[in-house]
Amino acid sequence: MNALFTRALLEWIGTHEGGRLTASQRRFAFWGLVPILIWVFVFVLFPIFWVILLSLFSYTPIREGGWFLGLGGNNPFVGLGNYVELFTGSTKAARIFRQAIGNTFLFSLLAVPLSVGTALPVAIALESVHERVKSSFRLIYFLPVITGSVAVTIIWQYVYAPNWGLLSQLMKTIGLTPPRSWLSDPTQVYFGIPLAMLAVTIVYVWVTFGYNTLLFIAALQGVPAVFREAARIDGANSWQEFWHIVIPLLRRTILLASVLTVISTLQQFVLFQLLTRGGPAYQTQTILLSVYQNAFVYSENMGMAAAMSIFLFIILFVLTIIQFRLLRTEWEY
Amino acid sequence: MKRLSLALLIVFSLVLAGCSPNTTPTESAAKQPAATESVASPAATGGEKIVIRVWGHQNNSFNQAHQDIINKFMEENPNVEIKFETFPWDVFIQTIQTSLPAGQVADIIEMPGGMGLRYAKGGQLLEVPAEVMTLDRARETYFEAPLGGYVYDGKLYGLPIEFNLEYGGAYVNEEMFKAAGLPYPPQWKGWDEVIADAKKLTKFDSSNAMEVAGLHYTNNDQLYTYFLSGILEQGGQYFAEDGKHFNFNTPQALAVVQKMVDMAQKDKVVDPVTYNAESNWVGTSFAQKLTAIAVLGSWFTGEARITYPDLKFDYVKLPPFMGDQYKFTSVSGWGVVVTKYTQHPEIAWKLAAAMAADPENALHFNLTTGTIPAMKQVANDSRLSEKYPFMKDLVTILPYGVFQGDIVDPSQLEFDIIYPNLIQAIQGIITPEQAVQNIHEEANAMVDNAK
Amino acid sequence: MLKKFHPFYLLSRSAIYIILTAGLVFTLLPFVYVFLASFKTNAELLRVPPTFIPEKPIIENYTTVLSDSQISLTRIFYNSGMVAIVRTLLTLLISSFAGYIFARYRFTGKNLFFGMILAQLMIPFQVVMIPIYLLTVKMGLIDTLWALIIPMLIDAYGIFVAKQFVEGLPGEVMEAARIDGASEFGIYWRIVLPQLGPALASLGIFTFMASWNDYLWPLIIITSPEKRTIPLLLVWYSTQHGANQGLVLAASILTLIPIFVVYFLAQRWIVEQSTQSAFK
Repeated sequence: MNALFTRALLEWIGTHEGGRLTASQRRFAFWGLVPILIWVFVFVLFPIFWVILLSLFSYTPIREGGWFLGLGGNNPFVGLGNYVELFTGSTKAARIFRQAIGNTFLFSLLAVPLSVGTALPVAIALESVHERVKSSFRLIYFLPVITGSVAVTIIWQYVYAPNWGLLSQLMKTIGLTPPRSWLSDPTQVYFGIPLAMLAVTIVYVWVTFGYNTLLFIAALQGVPAVFREAARIDGANSWQEFWHIVIPLLRRTILLASVLTVISTLQQFVLFQLLTRGGPAYQTQTILLSVYQNAFVYSENMGMAAAMSIFLFIILFVLTIIQFRLLRTEWEY
Repeated sequence: MKRLSLALLIVFSLVLAGCSPNTTPTESAAKQPAATESVASPAATGGEKIVIRVWGHQNNSFNQAHQDIINKFMEENPNVEIKFETFPWDVFIQTIQTSLPAGQVADIIEMPGGMGLRYAKGGQLLEVPAEVMTLDRARETYFEAPLGGYVYDGKLYGLPIEFNLEYGGAYVNEEMFKAAGLPYPPQWKGWDEVIADAKKLTKFDSSNAMEVAGLHYTNNDQLYTYFLSGILEQGGQYFAEDGKHFNFNTPQALAVVQKMVDMAQKDKVVDPVTYNAESNWVGTSFAQKLTAIAVLGSWFTGEARITYPDLKFDYVKLPPFMGDQYKFTSVSGWGVVVTKYTQHPEIAWKLAAAMAADPENALHFNLTTGTIPAMKQVANDSRLSEKYPFMKDLVTILPYGVFQGDIVDPSQLEFDIIYPNLIQAIQGIITPEQAVQNIHEEANAMVDNAK
Repeated sequence: MLKKFHPFYLLSRSAIYIILTAGLVFTLLPFVYVFLASFKTNAELLRVPPTFIPEKPIIENYTTVLSDSQISLTRIFYNSGMVAIVRTLLTLLISSFAGYIFARYRFTGKNLFFGMILAQLMIPFQVVMIPIYLLTVKMGLIDTLWALIIPMLIDAYGIFVAKQFVEGLPGEVMEAARIDGASEFGIYWRIVLPQLGPALASLGIFTFMASWNDYLWPLIIITSPEKRTIPLLLVWYSTQHGANQGLVLAASILTLIPIFVVYFLAQRWIVEQSTQSAFK
């Protein structure tokens, strides 16, 4: 049976660029691909199938379930019950999750303009200075990118410590009254944005700032000078030129940077887990924190956590498609 | 091309061979014997040492006490090597949760109070063998409240090492009391007097931000314990008729929340925004002299004496919270359990017994940590009250303690349901009525969801 | 080649340097503050208001961390480094190998297989974390360093990049080698792989950094102290010494030093390669 299957596959693998494959070439391609495909099946396709199944069960690994993946038996099938509970139910997990959806989007919405708004001006300034200066600035801007997130949270705890922290102290030095607490005060909400969420977003921007700057530098270097000349002849001044020619040309890069930022914000775990743990009053609870807590910290909810994962999957899926579209059209002026 | 396919096959099977837990890159490359290797190999005999893994949470005094007992045990049993491994509290909870069902777990776990039941129910723990302790003997040996967390379905699944008491006591700072002109040590008759003193101890800075909290009672363990205990003190109940669901929609529950809210909002003895479980944790803020009266269990004494050797403080008894009768709940207490995956149950139980059933070792543990003994005999030992004068006072209220009961997921009830709602009410974000209503709904939904 | 665009005339010289300096302060101030704080005594660290420059700088925080018998920094670095290196090398090999096959061999079902692999791009790890945890448990890999490598071994993005790259290579050289009797693997190993350098470099850097800094997955999988990676150790250490923050800061800085040194040595290369990948 196995041999037959192997032969069928070998027959299947037909030609290479130069012409028909010899037997040895077939074998090479076959043995090269099969392990990879097995891996993809085991660690990608099967798990996504499994997580969908899990989301239809009330499941926890503590309970002995049926023979198939421990589903059934004490881990009963609940149909769409987990999803109904998530979006309409009154369990704590469901309520927090609904809050987490809003928080997660708020985080993305804050992170995108802050990231672009800091990285783009710096990229323009960097492009305007001498190569030597440029490379040493670039060197330093990139440091937070390579700093591990856990170390980042330890560093920023000193910045955000209430009263004696760096930020509060800086504010006092210039005569301002710092807020009572940067990360733990649920009453500090400005224009619907909790202070704690803003604080975490700033850390996120700090970490990704160097990377985004480089993204824009690369894009600026790609803007052909011919456009500049065209604008000059028309008598446009440099700012007009910038707004009407450069920005439209950078539009795709800005969009791409935004989509990449949104995707990475949806997958952010460490900053929230170690800086705020979702608090205060769940104002910084995110979808991924909810998945983690319900799957691995509280005992009875792995099925529901799977349903949350599926929700996250759908959003990320759409965003990834948009990202691919953008990447395909990148550089086509 | 046979050679090539063979080579690829070897590479692939090498990768797959990595699937067996005994070969990690570290182990194959670094020539040290690794822990799992010896644990996994069945009944290491001959010259091989038997390795027993013990897991605990990070707490300097707990860890030191355990290490002393473990060292003694290893001296007496030279063929046994014990690896004592610790985790930060929340990582610990998650690690038990992810490793216990997986079977890749320590032989002995220092289990947080009340959580043992859940895993006993799930069949992950070994029953205590009769030669170590029978249930009847355990009832004579230990207080009812701590023992309650280890008895399921009439069987004993672990041995408590302390009586969890987050109620009835507070840390006081002598310097601050003297500076405020208050009598020291305080002799409070009722909570009115506690609050009156706390008001005098509270300090604000020029921008009206709280500099010193007079009374820090807003930690998660404290709010949880005083909420449940406050209901009982008034003669109320928090379990519904069926003993599984909850009934928090009671005047007693509301009265407790109202009192907690008033202490922060009217009396202003604490700023619940900057003083809570996440920010200015009660123990740390007391040590940093940012809190004058810190409501916290006596277990922090041991920790404080090791971590803050220069700190001068006393632990004093608090009056009943809601009336004139002591009555309190306990989440049972830390204890030791043996997992069903152990390869060496006899040795594991021998060590567990040394940690929790040997009166001298139990005394050593309680002496080092300042925890309340789970063992009745130890509670009245004079050596304990010599080192901790407050013990004399505290042991008098122990008989009023009850085990909190068989709760589906006690840590979820405490950290995810009761504490968040109470702290929000105290911060003035939701009303006390809302808080009680939320707790009622969420707690019952947790029960229904677990079925 | 078109001339590059220079927004030189957009901003005045002073505006340029104000922006650059603001960025510099934003980036560096937290590092500098914490670095200086790691030389303070515990008493000075707890003082309100805090000092910026340590009054009496001490190095005990560092010596204590380095001589702490509870942790073995070399062991932890070894774990993190070993996992990152093995994972990176295997990912690069597999990606380039698969990319070569997909680029140079035509066979039935190629698109289907390629699509299967690309599906991974649509399914981020966080989404399938739960079943992969259950799978890891079933395979007996929980609490092994292999669990940090095997589920991450194959990178669809890497295969995609490698395929694009190999397609761009001239086919004649490969054909000539084939006629000269080179084996298929020999062609990959001696002709294709050396030319993939630039494409693989950025992939390698990303894989290495992702592995080195990962916290969530090791948090779920690793329990033994001797298998902890750097992020796990840092969290453990900061709890262990919650009362002695100087030690925590010193430990954090010690873990940053090696990666910063490597970065400064290879910075031009790292910085250039890592943005390339976003566009490919």
